[in-house]
Amino acid sequence: MTMDLSIFNRFAITKKGGDIIFCEYEPGDAFYLIQSGQVKIVKIVGELEKTLDILNPGEFFGEMALLEEAPRSATTIALTDLKLLEFNRANFEVLMQGQPQIVLNLLKLFSKRIYDQKRRFMILNFGDDHQARVADVFLMLEENQTRTGDAEDVTRVFANSIEDIANWAGLSVQKVTEVLKQFVNQRRVELNQGKIVVKNINDFTRLVKSKRQE
Amino acid sequence: MRLTGGQGGIILCLVPLPEGGYVPKATQYKTNSVIFFQGDAGDKIFILKAGKVLLKSNDIETKEEINELVAAGEFFGVKSALGRYPRDETARVLADSDVLVFTVPEFEQLVLSNTRIIMKMLKVFSNQLRRMVSKVQNLMSKGVNKDAEAGLFGIGEYYYNNHRYKQAQHALTRYLAHYPNGKFQSQASDLAGKASQGVGGSPSDESASMASGSNLEAPSGVAAGADAKGFLEAVALVTQEKYLDAFKIFQKIVSTNSDPDHAAQAEFEMGRCLVFLTQFDEAIKQLTGLITKYPKHPDLKDALFFIGKAYQGKGDATWAKNFFNKILSLASEDEPVSVKTRKALKELEAKA
Repeated sequence: MTMDLSIFNRFAITKKGGDIIFCEYEPGDAFYLIQSGQVKIVKIVGELEKTLDILNPGEFFGEMALLEEAPRSATTIALTDLKLLEFNRANFEVLMQGQPQIVLNLLKLFSKRIYDQKRRFMILNFGDDHQARVADVFLMLEENQTRTGDAEDVTRVFANSIEDIANWAGLSVQKVTEVLKQFVNQRRVELNQGKIVVKNINDFTRLVKSKRQE
Repeated sequence: MRLTGGQGGIILCLVPLPEGGYVPKATQYKTNSVIFFQGDAGDKIFILKAGKVLLKSNDIETKEEINELVAAGEFFGVKSALGRYPRDETARVLADSDVLVFTVPEFEQLVLSNTRIIMKMLKVFSNQLRRMVSKVQNLMSKGVNKDAEAGLFGIGEYYYNNHRYKQAQHALTRYLAHYPNGKFQSQASDLAGKASQGVGGSPSDESASMASGSNLEAPSGVAAGADAKGFLEAVALVTQEKYLDAFKIFQKIVSTNSDPDHAAQAEFEMGRCLVFLTQFDEAIKQLTGLITKYPKHPDLKDALFFIGKAYQGKGDATWAKNFFNKILSLASEDEPVSVKTRKALKELEAKA
């Protein structure tokens, strides 16, 4: 973000690496814009802390709490020392007047997050069909990629880690590896220099579509 | 402004168009034409000026059809254009209509001059987001429904149990601040006290390592993922009949042994590669060793099959048959391993 935010200095706060900024289930009335450092968003599911996202300077978090009275839906932890701008309902109006562009960016972020959650729902909704879940994760990643090059080319290369795929599919790394092994044996997927190559993305589209109609 | 039903809710009633903002010329759409289809990539935002437009989508849970009529003066196609994702619905024209079409920058210009629109949209979107998040959470934690108080205490407890005292202390302090007379009050202050002692001296407090940014995930998780990729890469080499290259990678995974699951699977794959490389004695040694080491190996029956194949390769039909028959006594009839075993037995009999 290149805009001048010095007028918001009075909203600046700092955190040390390892600090919790807020906890899931806490009532929330503030949202944050990262000026420097990184924030990890986690959720404790069962006996595991799952990393949902890692955010960088220029990104927002905690924005949902701003407009509705509802508890936080995840825990945020400072990965590094942090500089944040903290806004709440009371001073949101100041932000709106001073930098409507930031609020517009928030609107875009919401649009994107609604879609991400919707896609996540569709993926998880396949339940025990792990093949469909993993295939649909690749389709979702494909939707988020800007395509360059030959439109006829059906091969897709993904630089994502297996943890990424597992996270999106809501499965363990072991389960995802198992599914990918099936795909590799079916010659649907290849691994090349640490990248996952889907040999024909249309094949996954068909697979997911047929499963969704079941 | 209203938020229409269903999950789409993309229709936002516009307060009168602001003076001075950019307003494009209206585009005319004939009855029965389609402005966009569900799944189309969309970068335009629309306002219905006059006419009748129907948005058709399917509920993601029930798959039921949802029909929403756009009223004159309402926006549609906003979310997909702003979020840059495919259209959620099909916009069909029911009666000749005049529609204002904005690009995203034009839309931005329009709303920046009327920030009330942004605020209204934010409210609608945050409401939708909240609903989507709770749907996803229902799927992820079927049946687990914690109240906020127990949930917050649970977070402190989780970090305490995992020796992450700094986070435990933070979470528990917040619990005590929000619920000074809460039902976990005494437990929380007890754990918070213990955690604060842990923060000072314990090497397991991960704030230091987190600060360096080197500890994004639990170490075992990273190793598992990195190993998994190497493992899959080798499996891919097997399908390309590059058995020696694959063998070397599997061998490396076994010798590093950073993830026991992959190491065990890699040991099986090594045996399989040796059979393909016609190193039958080595293969038998490898796979027999595997069976002894992992009597509950998930690929046990396949290991037996490849031992049989190795004996077959050596020309030892008797031992090959022994192994094949063993598999048939262990596996149910329709398992893939039974199918290929029966085929292998037939081959042997044909030769004999």
